[in-house]
This record gives sequence, C-alpha cells and structure tokens, in this order.
Amino acid sequence: MGGAFQKAFDLLFSGDGQLWNIVSVTMQMTLTSSVVALLLGVPLGVFYATARFPGRKALIVLNRTLMGVPPVVCGLLCYMLFSGVGPLRQLKLLFTVPGMIVAQVILLTPIAAGNMETYLSGIVGEIQETARGLRLSRGRGFLLTLNESKYALVSTYLFGYGRAMAEVGAVSMVGGAIAYKTNVMTTAIMMYTNMGDFTLGLALGILLLCISLLVNITAHLLQGRRT
Amino acid sequence: MSKKALLILLALMLALSVFGCSQTEETTATEEETAAATDEPVVIEAPEATPFETMSPNYADKLGITILYEQDDAMINNYSLLAVNEDAPFEDLDGNAVADVEINTVGAKALIDWMLGDEATELIGNYGFEQYGEYLFYNKEDRPVSTAEIPQATDETKTIRLSTTTSVNDSGLMSYLLPVFEDEYGYDVEVLSAGTGKAIAAAKMGNADLILVHSKTQEEPFVEAGFSKVLDGYDSERLTFMYNYFVLVGPKDDPAQCAEASDVKDAFKRIADGKYPFVSRGDLSGTHTKEVSLWPEELGITTDADSVADYTEWYLYSNAGMGVCLTMANEMDAYILSDKATFLTFRANGGIDG
Repeated sequence: MGGAFQKAFDLLFSGDGQLWNIVSVTMQMTLTSSVVALLLGVPLGVFYATARFPGRKALIVLNRTLMGVPPVVCGLLCYMLFSGVGPLRQLKLLFTVPGMIVAQVILLTPIAAGNMETYLSGIVGEIQETARGLRLSRGRGFLLTLNESKYALVSTYLFGYGRAMAEVGAVSMVGGAIAYKTNVMTTAIMMYTNMGDFTLGLALGILLLCISLLVNITAHLLQGRRT
Repeated sequence: MSKKALLILLALMLALSVFGCSQTEETTATEEETAAATDEPVVIEAPEATPFETMSPNYADKLGITILYEQDDAMINNYSLLAVNEDAPFEDLDGNAVADVEINTVGAKALIDWMLGDEATELIGNYGFEQYGEYLFYNKEDRPVSTAEIPQATDETKTIRLSTTTSVNDSGLMSYLLPVFEDEYGYDVEVLSAGTGKAIAAAKMGNADLILVHSKTQEEPFVEAGFSKVLDGYDSERLTFMYNYFVLVGPKDDPAQCAEASDVKDAFKRIADGKYPFVSRGDLSGTHTKEVSLWPEELGITTDADSVADYTEWYLYSNAGMGVCLTMANEMDAYILSDKATFLTFRANGGIDG
C-alpha cells in the first residue's frame, strides 16, 4: 500500500505525458458532462416539481427509473447508436470524448432532475405562494426557485460530478479506452490492473480521489460563503 | 442586477416572515443533504481500491503460480492481421444492409505494409528481451513480406482504427511498435483492445479498419462472411505474421503433476481427472478458444458456458481479461492457460510473486 502512495507521488511529479493526458481527458469529460447534465436536469427537476398536468406522477416514476439505469447498459446503447452500422453513425461519436460526454449526460440528467424534484417537493408550495404574492413572471418565479435551492444545486452538481468521475462501464464502451484519446482515470486503472501493475492502478486511484477532494473542498467553500 | 437581487431579497424576507418556522427545518434538511453529497464521490470510488487491498495481505502466504508447461507445437499461438473489407455485408441490428460504413482501407493497408516490412519485423523480433530476458513474440518464417512503399497520411486516411486482442496490447507490444510508424508516416493509430471475439464483433459493426487477432477458428468465419479482403500484393485475407506460445500456468507445487505430462492434452487430462481448479477466460478470446480445444473430448467442453455446467466445482468460467484471470488463478491456486507474453508482463509488473 505504501508503495502505491509513493508511486502516486512520483507520478505526479514525473511529468509523465500519458498521465497528464489521462487527467486532462478525465477532467474534460467529467466537467463538461456534469455541467451539461446540471443545465438540463435542473430545469427538468423544477418542471417536475412545479408544473401540474396529468401524467406528472408517471413522468416522475419514469425519471426515477432512469436514475437507476446501469451505466454499462447506457454505454451499450450509445455504442449501438454510434457504431459504424448504427443509426447515428454520421455523427462519428464512437470512441470520442464527445461520445463519452453524451453517454454521461444521458446517465446524469435524470439524477440531477430527480434530486431537484425531491428537494423542491418540500418547499415548492411556499415558493409558489411567494411568487404569486409578488406577482412574479414565470421566468422570475423560476429564478426565485433556483435562488431558494442554491444549497441543493451545489450538492446536486457534486453528486453528478462524482458519478461522472467514478464511472467506468459506459465510458469504456463508448470511449474504447484509447490511449491519448479516450483513456480516462477509471479505464486506465482497469488497463493497468489487466497488465498486472496494481500499484500504478492504485496510484491513479489515489490521484483520482485527490482531485475529487479538491473539487469538493472548493464547492464546500463556495457553499459556505453563500449561506 | 441590483433590482433583481432586491426582489429576491424581498421574496426571501416575505418567505421568512410568513413561514418562519419552516425555514429552520429547511436549513437542517439541506445541511444533511450536502453532507451526503460531499461524501458521495468517496463512497463510489472506494471499490476501485478494494480488490487490491483485500487480496494483498494474502500475497505472502501464497505459493504463487508459475509456468508448468510450454514450448509444445500444439501450444503455438499465431497472430494474424486482417484488413476489414469496406464492401463487407454490414448489417444493422435488425439485419438491414448498411452500405455507407466508412472504412479506412488506405490506412489499414499502410499499417499492414509496415507491420510486414523490415523495420517492424526487426522490432517485433527484439521485443521484450531487454525487459524480460525472453523474446515475447517471434516472426513466422513463412510470413507474408511487404516491400510496398507506404504513403504518408492525408487528412482522410490519418486515423486508423486497429481492433486487437488484449495480449498484444497488455504486453506493451503496440505501444512499443506504433509510435515508430506514427512518427514516420503521420498516421494516428487508435488501438481498441479486447478479446478476439470482441475485436471481431467490433469489426463486424464497422468500428475497425483492421484487426490483429489470434484465433483461426474465429478468423475463418469472419473471412468467409466477406468481412475481410485480400489487399494488393498479398494472396490471402489472413496474414499470419508472428507467433508465440500459450503456456499452462499453475500452482508451484503442481498437484496435478502437469509438468511431467507427455503432452499438453495429457496435462489438461490430469487437471480434469483430479478436478483441480482451473480458471477459464470464458470470454470468446483467442486464449479461450485455444483452451477449449485442449480438454479431453469426452468432457464436451466448448466456448459455450452451458457446456461446463457440470464442472462448476473445479472449472471457473470467468468472463474476464487475462490479467484478472491470472490474479484469480494466483489467489485460488488454480491452473490457467495464458499467452506467454501476457504472463511474463504480468509477473514483471508485480502482479504475481515469484
């Protein structure tokens, strides 16, 4: 175990080109997909919580089902769609970072929406009453809702970010774990394990956790300042 | 902006004054939620590390596994290059023909020409000796030889998708060879590493320009179905160019006494007779295809999981990569068939003691 920590430390300062490529591809994929999923999922969650229409309950149940889609199934679906013989072959997304981001967004959006819906369901009545009392327009009402749920927004984002970072099933299928192109931390760990290099795999895992820790500390500080 | 902020502040104050008590509840709820969210990535990522953590303490008391049987003609492991035919009968999942699958034949031919040329042949022949003290791959004497001039990459032909088996990739051969080719001719080779079965499946779905695999029984149907083509200057679709050996690996004390076997089939018979644990790849890889051909025929073992349903007490159909299977075999004191290159790399990287 000590060896792995030592190796993680050495790796960090070795200026190893492949390592930094893996880290940058991971960050690019994780940040983009979690932000896109947040931008799509939050309005959807607000919609679930505030709109009143027939079939709303069914939609929420459907969303909760999608929250539990196994990543590898999502990966397989994207693989089939983007394949050379798949219906979306013209997009040329297979084995690319944008393709991986699409798969991640499919996985993360329902989670962001579901988290927001759950949070808002408890406070939506009050917010709507306030908005009505102030005669706020629909758009402003939405802004008020967001403002009321800043705290939940940050935690929803972090949850999505953590999922995106830790995911391996979908990204290995859609991305193909191609060196210097689509190899991310998790797929690289798998690769090194397959080559028998457990220490290097674990060293990468330690780096992955350190990056997560940094992001969480930053988010925590941001959260703290706002409340 | 300030107007909006004032508005929100006003709304907040109103909400506070009307629902004073509910505000406190809300804060506690969000605090809990955030605490959960902050912990979340840690919870998710922990499993990445556990397999190693849980198994490392056992390492010292394990005898470890070693090569028990090798260098038999029946254990030769042939690797072939096959270019994917751009006019292959590609089908979508519903069986409809797909005509516009894009295959980079020019790039595939360039890489094949290079792999069969003098430079790559020399590199392959020398690979591994410095690091492992043994050659990991050998050039076949009767391999097709290319002297064709290799064109420089253009924008259309630049990206070559090579679907290959885990053995050539995990042994480091690809990352040793390809940069030389890429630097010289400007191509960008994207290596997809999976078992032979998966590599062929990827090619059938139009996701590879060429494949490098090691299972004749799986390559032949691929060629017969029209998925590969004969390139200019060659006389076959299957270009078998290098080989190494499969090795029978097992516990050092060798309870089945495979090391004394008269031939490899006898060694496998000894394992089956004594019902000693055996780890099978179970993933339709070239190694898996080879392994099922070595068991006594009367057992009826095929690549189909159903065929081993009666042997589950000793035969482990694992459906995993070579490295994972070697780890399993090492932990369970089991026998396993491996290609020699992966075994040596795995051991050199510290995956197996001794």
